[in-house]
Formats: sequence, structure tokens, C-alpha cells
Amino acid sequence: MQRTKGYPEALDKKLADTRLFEDERHPDFTKTVEEISMTIPHMCYQCGTCTASCPSAPRSSYRIRKFVRRALLGLEDESLTDPDLWLCTTCYSCTDRCPRDIAPTDVIMAMRNLAARRDIIPVNFLKTVQAIYTTGHGVPNNDVNRAARKKLGLNPEPPTTHGFPQYVKGIQYILDYFGLKDRADRIVKEREG
Amino acid sequence: MHEYAFFLGCIAPNRYPGAESASYKTSEKLGIKLLDLEGGSCCPAPGAFGSIDLNIWYAMAARNLVLAEQMKKDIALICNGCYKSIWEVNHKLKKHKELREGVNEVLKGVDMEFKGTIDVWHLAELFYDPKICGLQKIRDSVTVPLEGTRIAVHYGCHLMKPKKERHFGSTEHPYWIEEMVAALGAEPVEYRNKMLCCGAGGGVRGYDLVHSIDITNEKMINLKEVKADALTEVCPFCQLQFDRGQIEIEEKFGVKYGLPVLHYCELLGLAQGMSPQELALDLHAVSCEPFLEKVL
Amino acid sequence: MAEKKTKKETAPKKKETAKAAAPAKAAAPAVKAPEKEKKESRVGVFICHCGTNIAGSVDITDVQEYAKTLPNVAFADNYQYMCSTPGQSKIIDAIKEHNLTGIVVAACSPRLHEPTFRTATKEGGLNPFRFEMANIREQGSWVHMHDREGATEKAKDAIRIAVAKASLLQDLIPKSVPVEHAAMVVGAGIAGMQAALDLANAGIKTYLIEKNPTIGGRMSQLDKTFPTLDCSQCILTPKMVDVGRNPNIELMTCAEVENVEGYIGNFDVTIRKKARGVLSMAEAEEKGIVGGGCNGCGDCEVVCPVIKPNPFEMGMKPRKAIYIYHPQVVPLIYHIDWDSCIKCNLCVEACADKKAIDLEMQDELVKVKVGTAILATGYDIFPVEKKDEWGYKKYENVVTSLEFERLICASGPTGGHLVRPSDGATPKKVAFLLCAGSRDSTGIGHPYCSRFCCMYSLKHAHQIIEKIPGAQPYLFYMDIRSFGKMYEEFYYRIQDEGAKFMRGRVSNVLEDPVTKNLIINAEDTLLNRPISLEVDMVVLAAAVEPAAETDKTRKLFGVSRSMDGWLLEAHPKLNPCGTTTAGVFLAGVCQGPKDIPDTVASAEGAASAASIPIHMGEVELEPYFAQCIEEKCAGCGMCVNLCPYGALALVEKDGRKVMEVTEAKCKGCGTCGGFCPGGAIWMQHFATPQIIAQIDAFLLGGAK
Repeated sequence: MQRTKGYPEALDKKLADTRLFEDERHPDFTKTVEEISMTIPHMCYQCGTCTASCPSAPRSSYRIRKFVRRALLGLEDESLTDPDLWLCTTCYSCTDRCPRDIAPTDVIMAMRNLAARRDIIPVNFLKTVQAIYTTGHGVPNNDVNRAARKKLGLNPEPPTTHGFPQYVKGIQYILDYFGLKDRADRIVKEREG
Repeated sequence: MHEYAFFLGCIAPNRYPGAESASYKTSEKLGIKLLDLEGGSCCPAPGAFGSIDLNIWYAMAARNLVLAEQMKKDIALICNGCYKSIWEVNHKLKKHKELREGVNEVLKGVDMEFKGTIDVWHLAELFYDPKICGLQKIRDSVTVPLEGTRIAVHYGCHLMKPKKERHFGSTEHPYWIEEMVAALGAEPVEYRNKMLCCGAGGGVRGYDLVHSIDITNEKMINLKEVKADALTEVCPFCQLQFDRGQIEIEEKFGVKYGLPVLHYCELLGLAQGMSPQELALDLHAVSCEPFLEKVL
Repeated sequence: MAEKKTKKETAPKKKETAKAAAPAKAAAPAVKAPEKEKKESRVGVFICHCGTNIAGSVDITDVQEYAKTLPNVAFADNYQYMCSTPGQSKIIDAIKEHNLTGIVVAACSPRLHEPTFRTATKEGGLNPFRFEMANIREQGSWVHMHDREGATEKAKDAIRIAVAKASLLQDLIPKSVPVEHAAMVVGAGIAGMQAALDLANAGIKTYLIEKNPTIGGRMSQLDKTFPTLDCSQCILTPKMVDVGRNPNIELMTCAEVENVEGYIGNFDVTIRKKARGVLSMAEAEEKGIVGGGCNGCGDCEVVCPVIKPNPFEMGMKPRKAIYIYHPQVVPLIYHIDWDSCIKCNLCVEACADKKAIDLEMQDELVKVKVGTAILATGYDIFPVEKKDEWGYKKYENVVTSLEFERLICASGPTGGHLVRPSDGATPKKVAFLLCAGSRDSTGIGHPYCSRFCCMYSLKHAHQIIEKIPGAQPYLFYMDIRSFGKMYEEFYYRIQDEGAKFMRGRVSNVLEDPVTKNLIINAEDTLLNRPISLEVDMVVLAAAVEPAAETDKTRKLFGVSRSMDGWLLEAHPKLNPCGTTTAGVFLAGVCQGPKDIPDTVASAEGAASAASIPIHMGEVELEPYFAQCIEEKCAGCGMCVNLCPYGALALVEKDGRKVMEVTEAKCKGCGTCGGFCPGGAIWMQHFATPQIIAQIDAFLLGGAK
């Protein structure tokens, strides 16, 4: 199918998404998203209740209705490469109000999972992984806090993996089981050097 | 005395230790004993881990659940994010055999098995539940009534939503935490769009801070409208977003609100006579002084 | 296995005795015949292709060859469409050519074409009840569309079973019963009124039963009607007057159906006439109070000290404990709300010589006999506060459409001046939320489209533009469904008048705590942008649902309901007014959401259908009655109590007690036949040997 019109590259690029082409659709994508999310984006009737409920929508170009539509149509690339995918605060207001009983939030989570499989994932998510791999905590303890804990009569280290570091090994096993730490290290290094 | 394994999570013990300390002390006065859950970790963060791979999220949360199963105690916790991970994964693994088997395949490597023998509770719902504690007991425990203060409530999202999977009733106009605030002698105040998200979740705080605190700012505008003396919540991550967020809003948008943000356990601690020092309120980014002056 | 087969062989003999026994009852002329014919059962099997509906997934040739191998099958054939005239001719011709005694057609569901093939069987010279249908479409090809082999095998099974029964079928003669020359209509909204008027004008005595104190229903609460904008009351009240004056209509208001017995042609209905506390003039005269009874003067209302909200005005206008809904009520008789009456007697004194008020009045039970009945029980508004995101009953200025109708109506609580409930101010910006609880699959609202909300919301938009200078209506919609005559044109007109159509469903409504204005959150899905719109008033086009008492009433009449709660019609397309209970029909919204024209059309359809048996004077009942084999009957009487229709009784015969069936009451349910410890009850057309033969045919195969 003719996608470019032979204009200069910049104009062709600008016109690239002016039509929906059948070969952009991956029916498997719809299925995979539904399997992971355990919900039914193919039942969306585009009422916009989700976008209207969304705290992110009024301050960005993020439109959750559009993502559900993409799930329905199987527009895999468009879904996974859109940076707006990461603006969902997972507040579940859309899920509570959807009249078709779809959980749009879970559709987003499934798409993020699929994006992550392609290494499309913001670094801050991976840094959380790295922190947990080392300490067991996504937000670890620090000296100011240790001092404060002491003053409160608490143990400077809470009775978590901080107080019992022997448990960190189990966490590392689980993350390594999925190869997540290595992936996180690699991607962070690629992005930040 | 009802005993629970106390799942701490990250932010309460590592940023707001006063909330942790208050939880032990206040709940003990209400007939609830919180036991150390040795070796608990990050829940793990539902936004971060759920986004990367739900299976890893299930497995990591299941590890924490198994620790409590081994103690033979239900879990109590004080953070909505933890509630989403720990409660929801417990619920899902109990319900879906395939998920459970997948998770146990992973846990085998650390000599663990998820059996589904315990339940998970938010400490706030235990406080509210008349079978465990109830409003009257809270009222009876108050020695320093928070009279003359107007307190707004932020429920947070992951405790009560999605409504269908939870058991907290209305997510549009809930009022049960307000009732708990009133039980402390304070006046609960309602404000516009009360159920709006704090803006922190889903990894957005880390991904796009300005976007994230812009949501927080909308909440702050609505809170300013009703002139609340303090905001209370039941989630240290929301607390962090509102507390530190106000400093960030000041930096980025040049607006200052100065609204003290207290976890309900901290508020309860005050009402039960704990001192601001015992609650480490000085660690809060926004000074609690104006509020404390009204109370003490 | 062998043992079972022996049983099977002996079974027919047993039946012969049974049969021999039955004729003594004389009531069933059929019973003697099979004895002779038994030995020479010759069954013809006809397999329908139904175009590709069946042939697409069933191997017709294979099935036909198989059918030929079955016991008693004398002939097998197939045709493209068995229900067509040539298809039916095949049956008629084969009966004569092959001297057949039983017919099996393997095709669709008997609900569709059993009558067709029975007629063909009859035309071929056989008793029509010697026909049996094998459903190989709905229960075969359609559900096993992708399994040709399996569907073919299943078709063979179905035919084998049908042949086994057809071999044992007997001649049966349907019984005719006379039809009472009277009808009943339950519910006196526009549907019930129209149906009653049609029946009455066709010369049929009609009982019109209404639970409220006046007729008129929902339509009398409406202000104007779309798309013509004529005043609802103006077009309705003449009909109300007609109903009140028609000599063939016996109107019973404050009345409910208490009990229903009987069957088509002969329903015995008990009606509870609730004590209204006030005598009509006629009732007064009966009691010998000359010139007395309620004349609607309202003197009682003036003195009544109790004030309550008027339900007719959606609670927005006060009324007394003794009151009428509105000035145009029919009948014009006051009534007492017993829950709020304090029996102070002031009204009795005010009524004086008319002596119309009786504070000690009791409910009264009335029995009437009717030939047919129409249910027109209408609808209620979905309790839209259940969708708490829109704040109904929490925010004062959020109202439902029915409340809006009263607020905009000249005879309503505000004299037709639309005001905000919070401060009485005239709203300028008004948002209409369509599909409020309709098209909702969450389990809180209703999954169906309520069908008339789009149109009345357009009308509402028109009304505020017309009445309030500078008013701006916003309609939040997902689809505008303007499907009726002149409806799309009406949509065009209202858009031209300036209504703004916002294509997006409202996610939630917030209230400004100071101004009580409302903030609408939605997405303009066409602009792909979230909207936050501040308005003065929100009108929820709340979904409709079956009226609260519908379920009780339908059970009394033996009517089913569909998945969505509305009453179930006999066929959604070809018999929308009928039900599966003979003689009971549906009119108006109780069958599903309808606007006024559709409701009236449906009511006229129901009236027509309900008048047919009455005008025919008699109806044929399917002869599936239980029969007592008196030799075997021990007269224990246990069946008598089991019968859900009260059709059985013990009678004295030849010096001993035996059971007797009142055939007109028997529905052939088989409860007695299945229970009888002595096997003394013969269920015609579903007799034990016939059913055993079917089971054997299925379990033991049946090839020759």
C-alpha cells in the first residue's frame, strides 16, 4: 500500500497518520491485551466517560478513550510507542464509571506490560526495580530518617528487609527469575550511559 | 486484642516514621495489636511493577503474603498502594488457579508457597469496623479532642477503587473517614471533587513530576476554597504527594498553600494525647504548626 | 440391554390395556383407535434443508438414508423448504401414496412450524396429532454450525426419537370451550385506556383495572409531546372522558388484581378494590344516600389539616390526606391516603349531607369472569440515584426528566415556570444527560435503550429555548436515536433553534457548594477534549424499568418476562402483543420501552388480538389432557392436591371413587401423571409409553 506521497520527507511524515490502514491492525494485539488485562476493550462504544473521569486528560494529550479504541482496533505500534501511555495515574475512576463495564485502567496496564517487553519503559520505573533489588524497598531508608526513628524509640532500621537483610536474597531470586534486574541495568545504561 | 501482621511498606517507615509509630500506639489503645512482619519488602509499587510485568508484581506481592501466612496472621497495613498490591494480589491469587500456580512456580525457588490462608485489611477499615473497633471506641480513646479544627479527607484511589472489586461502597461520595475524623472531635469538611486522585500513582510522579503535581495543585485549589486547617489521608504515598508536593508546587508554579497533611494515624495519635515530637511531625515538609496551635 | 429390549416390546401391550381402559371415560373419543392401528405403524420422515440453514451443516442425504433404516419408517424424503406449499404437498401426497399413519418433519423448532405441518397432516387425511417434529435447526445445525459430522449425527438421533414417538401417536380431538363475552385490561395509562376503548367499541364488556385513584398514567404527567408539541393533557383528557363514559367499560380505580383462575375464554379474576374512603355517587345511591356521594367539590380537601407531597407532581407540590392528583382526574372522586390520615373527621363534617366520606371503609373483593385479558402495567423511572456519579438526590439542582415535565408544565407546581429547586431562580444553562442508566452494562443501570429519552430531551431543549429568553440547553448524548415519523426532522429543528449537542457521556457532576451550580465533566469525543461545563441545572434522562407491581401481576396471569425484566411476548416480531399464556395479551411499555405512538399502536394490536377469541365465541384447546384409567385408579386422591390448576376431582363411579379431569382446566403439565403411584393417569400426547419409546430410541439406538 502506498503510504508516502513522494513529498519531502517532513511532509510525508506529517501526513503519515492521516488515514487508518488495514495492515496497521493486529487482531492478536486485541486478544493479548484482553488476556493480560482480564477486561473487554473490544466492547467499547466510545462514550468518553473514561477520558472525562481522567485526572491526566485535562493537562495533557493523554486520552484513555483513544487507547481503548486502539486496543479494539489492534493498533499495536501506535499504542505502545505513544509516550502518553505513561500518564495514567491508575486512579481507576474510569473503571468505576465505564457503562460498558470495561476496566480501561487495566487496558493501560496491559499495554504498558507489552511496551515493556519491547524495552519501551521510562527509566524511573526501572530505577525502582534497581532499588528494590538492592534493599527490598522502592523508597529506601536514609540517615535523616534513621535519626528520626531513633528519637521515636523505633529501631533505626524497620523490621523489613532493612532490619533483616537476609530476606533480600529471596527478592533478588524472584527478580532474577524474570531477568528483570539485568534488563533494568542494561536499559538504564543505554539511556543514561 | 486483635492481632495482625503489620505490613509496613516503604514510605511510612522510611519517610514518615511518625505514622508508623502512631499506628502501633493508637491501635493498641483500640484493641488492635500490630506485630512485626519480619522481612517484608516493598509491596511492590503497583504502578511501577504492575506496568513492567504483572506477573512479577504478583510474585513479589505473594512473597510478602507468604510471610504473613507463615505467621498465621491476617495482614494490616496503612498505605493504599500497599493495599492495592497486597490485598488485590491476595484476592486474585485466591480466585485464579492459573495465576496461583504460576506464582508458586516462581516461589518454589525460595522455598515458599502461596496458600491463600489469610486476609488483608487496611488499618483504617479495621478502625471503622464495629466488630473490631468502631467509631465509639475511637471516640472513647480521645483525650485531646481536635475541637475547632476543620479537616478535609483525601481517600486515595487504590483503597476503594475499582468499586466492583472492593467492599467500601460508594466511591463518588464516601463519608466513612469523615465519620472517623468527627469521632476525634474535629469538623470534617467536604470540598469540590473530593475523590480526585493525588496525582502520584501509576509511576507518574517519577515519569513527569510537573504533570503529577499539577493534579495535586488542582486538589490544593479545591481545598483552599473550603479553608481546611489540615488534610488527612490513609496513604503515606498520597501524604508524600501532598506534603512534599506543596513544596514542589511552590517551586514550579510559585503558589504556596501551607496546608498541613497528616496521616489518619498521626491525627488519631494527636487526639489520643501523643505529642508532635512522638509523631515526628517535624519531618513533614509543610509545617504542622498552624494546625497544632489550634489543637494544643 | 436385552432385558430393556424385552421391556420395550412388552410396553405397547401394557398400553393397549391402558387404551382399552380409557374409552370407558367416553370423554376422550380418541382413545380407542390406536389399538387397531398399533401393529401397522407407517411413518413418513421429511427432512428440510431450510436453504443452507440446515443443509449447510447437516448431510441431508446421509440423514435420509439413515431414516429409512428406522423401525416403522415407510417413507423418507427431503426438500429445500418443507414449510413451502410444495413442501407441504409432499406430506399430503405421501400420506395417500404410502398409506402413512404418522408424520415426522425434521426442520426447525415446533414453535415456528408445528401448526403448518399439522395442517398438512390433516389435509393428507390423518389426524393432525399424528405429527411429530424433530428440531434439527435451532438445536442442531445452528448450534453445531462448524461440526458437520456431529450435527449430522445429532440430526439422526433427533429423527430416531421423533419416529419412535410418531409410531405410537394417537388420534386426538381438540376440545372447544365457550368464551366469556368480556375482557379485562390491567393498567389504565394510555395503553390500557386505548385497549379498553377499542374492546368496548367492538361491543365487548371491558373491565379496566387501575391501581391509582385516576386513569391517565404517565402520559397525564407529561407537558407536551414530541414531535408535534401538542399538549399531552389536551390530547389525553378526551380519551379519559371517553373511558369514563363508555357504557361497555367498567372502570375500577384504586384496584388491583388479587387472583386469577381459569384459562382462555374463562378467566375468573378476583379484584381487590382498595378502600378509597370516599363513595362515588353511584355507590352512595346504592347505600340509599339520596343525592349523595362525591361530586368532586373539594370541600373536604380545604379542611384537611394534613399536608404531604403529591406523588403526581413528583412530590414537588403539597396535597392533603384527602385529595385528587389533579383537577382532570377520571373518575372525579376524592380519595384518602390512609398512611397520613389522622381521622380527625373534619372532612366528614365538611362533606355534610353528601355523606361521601367513610373513614371506616374496608377493601372489597370483586370477582369477574372474562374471556381474555390485556396487561398494560407500564413503567417506572429507574432510581437514578444509584448512579451516584451524577449526584441525583444529593445535589438539589439535579432533577429527572419526569420532574422536569412537571416543572415546565403550566398546571405543574410552578405554573410552568422552570425554576431551580435550590433557590427558585430561572436556570439559563441547562444540561440534559441522556442514557442516564440506560445502555449500562455495569449491573447498576439497565443494558437496554429506553427508546424515548432522546426525543423528549430534544423537546425539553425546545421548551426552555421557547420559555426562557437566552436559555442555552446542552444535550450530552452518545447517539441521538430519532427513528420515528418526523423525529429526525424534529432533531433538525431543535438543533436549528440553538440546542448544543455534545457527543460524550457525562462522567460525573460536581456541585459548587456556594452557588449550587453544577459542573459537568464529560469528553467532547468529537473534539477529543475533556469538557468541564458549569450549568444552572442538570436534567437526567433516567432509564425506564417495569413498574414495581408488574412482577406480581404477571405471575398471576402466568406471563413470563424476558431477561431485561419486561414482559415476554409470544414472538418478538410476529406476535408482539401475545404471550405464551393463551388469552393473555400485552399492551404498551410493559412489553418494552415505547413512545406514545408505538404504545397506542401496541394497545390497538392487543385489543384486536384479545377480541378475536371473544368474537369467535369459542376456542379450541390443545387436547393434551390427563385421562384417568379408571380400572387402575385406586381413588387415593393424591393427584387432586398436586394439580396446580385445580383440574382434578374425585368422583363416585360404579360404587367407588375415581379421579376425574376437568379437561378445560387441565394444562397437560404432567404433574399428576408423573406422580400417580398406580400408573392410572394417561397423559394424552405425552403418554408414558410414548416417552419411554423416545428414551429407548435415544439410548438403545433403533436401526432395523
